[in-house]
Amino acid sequence: MVLDDLGSSLRGTLDDLRGKSRVSEEDVKNIVREIQRSLLQADVAVDLVTDLSDAIERRALEEEAPSGTSARDHVLRIVYEEMVDLIGDSTEIPLEPQTIMLAGLQGSGKTTTAAKMAWWFSKKGLRPAVIQTDTFRPGAYDQAAQMCERAEVAFYGDPDEDDPVQIARDGLAATEDAEVHIVDTAGRHALEDDLIDEIEEIERAVSPDRSLLVMDAAIGQGAREQSREFDDAVGVGGVVVTKLDGTAKGGGALTAVDQTDSSIAFLGTGETVQDVERFEPSGFVSRLLGMGDLQQLAERVERAMAETDEAEDDWDPEDLLEGQFTLRDMRKQMQAMDRMGPLDQVMDMIPGLGGGMMDQLPDDAMDVTQERLRSFEVVMDSMTDGELENPRVVGKERTVRIARGAGVDESVVRELLEQHRMMERTLKQFQGMGDGDLQRMMRKMGDQGGGMGGAGPFG
Amino acid sequence: MFDGLKDKLDSFREDAEAAAEEAADEESASDGSDERERPDRPEPVDDQTEAEADPDTDEDGSTVGRLTRAKAYATGRIVIEEEDLETPLWDLEMALVESDVEMGVAETILDRVREELVGETRKQVDTTAGLVREALREALVEVISVGQFDFDEAVVEAESPVTIVFTGVNGVGKTTTIAKLGRYFEERGLSVVIANGDTYRAGANEQIREHADALGLKLISHEQGGDPAAVVYDAVEYAEANDVDVVLGDTAGRLHTSDDLMEQLSKIDRVVDPDMTLFVDEAVAGQDAVRRAEEFDDAAAVDGAVLTKADADSQGGAAISVAQVTGKPILFLGTGQGYDDLRRFDPEALVADLLDE
Repeated sequence: MVLDDLGSSLRGTLDDLRGKSRVSEEDVKNIVREIQRSLLQADVAVDLVTDLSDAIERRALEEEAPSGTSARDHVLRIVYEEMVDLIGDSTEIPLEPQTIMLAGLQGSGKTTTAAKMAWWFSKKGLRPAVIQTDTFRPGAYDQAAQMCERAEVAFYGDPDEDDPVQIARDGLAATEDAEVHIVDTAGRHALEDDLIDEIEEIERAVSPDRSLLVMDAAIGQGAREQSREFDDAVGVGGVVVTKLDGTAKGGGALTAVDQTDSSIAFLGTGETVQDVERFEPSGFVSRLLGMGDLQQLAERVERAMAETDEAEDDWDPEDLLEGQFTLRDMRKQMQAMDRMGPLDQVMDMIPGLGGGMMDQLPDDAMDVTQERLRSFEVVMDSMTDGELENPRVVGKERTVRIARGAGVDESVVRELLEQHRMMERTLKQFQGMGDGDLQRMMRKMGDQGGGMGGAGPFG
Repeated sequence: MFDGLKDKLDSFREDAEAAAEEAADEESASDGSDERERPDRPEPVDDQTEAEADPDTDEDGSTVGRLTRAKAYATGRIVIEEEDLETPLWDLEMALVESDVEMGVAETILDRVREELVGETRKQVDTTAGLVREALREALVEVISVGQFDFDEAVVEAESPVTIVFTGVNGVGKTTTIAKLGRYFEERGLSVVIANGDTYRAGANEQIREHADALGLKLISHEQGGDPAAVVYDAVEYAEANDVDVVLGDTAGRLHTSDDLMEQLSKIDRVVDPDMTLFVDEAVAGQDAVRRAEEFDDAAAVDGAVLTKADADSQGGAAISVAQVTGKPILFLGTGQGYDDLRRFDPEALVADLLDE
């Protein structure tokens, strides 16, 4: 998804190194050139790009590749290390009572981010509250109130008060029993002096433990000026990059991190309150380079599973590895996948499926799959308990009945049954395997995925 | 806005002039025949396949034929060669990218400048400055003033009601722009009805309602979750029944990567069949502006663009890129949070300003 384009030409250049054991000066120049282009197209500041490419060029020429390492992996590792070095670790967000203030340009996504972060804290077992101090933008109060309702978190705002500083004070008092206070502010830009004064006042009133700068992934070279001014005004302790589900690469965030001497805290990847991820440097760079990112996939899977568990205590994914695989199980699995987010986002994080592989799929392949899952749900709604438990009883007559009930073509019912049989067969192969076998198999699958996933230097 | 780009263009001009002057000095020091010939047009320059300027490669071999040079010198003229310009051109490309001009668009500008300058002869008494300025102007005018038309006239002359639909990604300022344009039309004696086609975002109805109330404009809206095409359609019917001149249709912000939502936008476009579709983006956007402009243009053909938050941005590159890529003009700039903070975009004034004229 997001950062894939960036990776593809770079990947092409790196692939030229395949099989070589030494890199020539020319090779390095070509790679550095591609990196420069990629980063500039990702909106990274020009001087940062120069610094980065100089460092990569120097190290690639000076450092000997360790024995047994291919030239390609060697260069890749240097690129990776330098990038991670520049981006830094994610902002430390302790899981304890705290006050966080959000600042940023108009339309960067502060209100949505506030609700998402509150949701995130609540999933970590803390009681959050969002305080909305935007008295300027019409509808800001209603938007925040509705988002917080969706996130099922406490909310404070006062549509009749027009002093944001007063609202901030009142809000802290009114939500005293919350452990994490997230103070949302009106959008403003670095050149509006009176608004910058205002946010300084809010900052003094709430004395936040950290102020986060919320930044649209699409921001251009102006990121430097904006982040510098916000840093001067309220001290930026971390950056949130939003709208990463678009095509913008988010390079402005690197500039912001460099300028404010801070780090990236969260990533926003969609419009619902669950679409938030903690920033994870190796993952960010892996995606930047068009590589899969297992770690984030794992996190999403875990979260999705945890939610499914909440909803249905009697269902344990581990059961899949023992005993019967029923249509009910299949539905649970589909729902779990649905919670992880759009399929293409999930696919992109799987090594070997991200990057190159996704490029080869037709654009609508993922949509079709999602549509299919939805129609399967409809079909299952028209089946009896007995049929769900034991789909084998569904013959021609029942197929006709189910299809009529669900308002779909009979072929959809047959497809569902076929899909179920396929999944059942696959799972049978997993059953009876020890943990070691499973790991070996996963490793093998990783290897096949273009050799970049499990076996690469970042596996 | 555009201050950053202006500074950088200034320094490019100085560098390019210096480079050409230097080359000229060398030339006059090394060669000295005095044949008299008529000053013909210079021979065509070798086709340059390598579009990117690389300051490191110092290739031998002239891009301009010896004969041309001889002729030019003979007539007291000097030929500007490609290699004289490599470093300044590379710097120009970086300067453009640093001003948020999209890389592909920056290369287009570069090609134009190169085409204009390389092989160009000038009399030794002329200043190189004039040449460089002219080349830059040509290139900039060509990319910036794409497709400009008289917006006011187009609206007045179209059969009423004129329906204008606004599209763009989340948070760029579509709703605020609609409020500003509502005032813009009312001030010009045109009545306006606003349709809230954003039936998705939390708070969208409340936001646009407050604007409509503040401006005293009629608003057509449905419940959250309703069909956006139906809302705009209702507004058009209302306008027809009540002799309203202009219908401004808002749409929910959407990312161009969402196929469902882009399909929905196409549907609105088909059902409503607006007289004009304006793409709204923010001036602070970087390289991605071009990509999304293209995608939105594909989903619902764009007739022009509005760039918001111009007051927050000193680069201005997005304005150049979006116009070049869509082939449609930038019509307005949003320059603040007040209803009057809307400016017509004037490409010629901008180019003149960039070049200090």
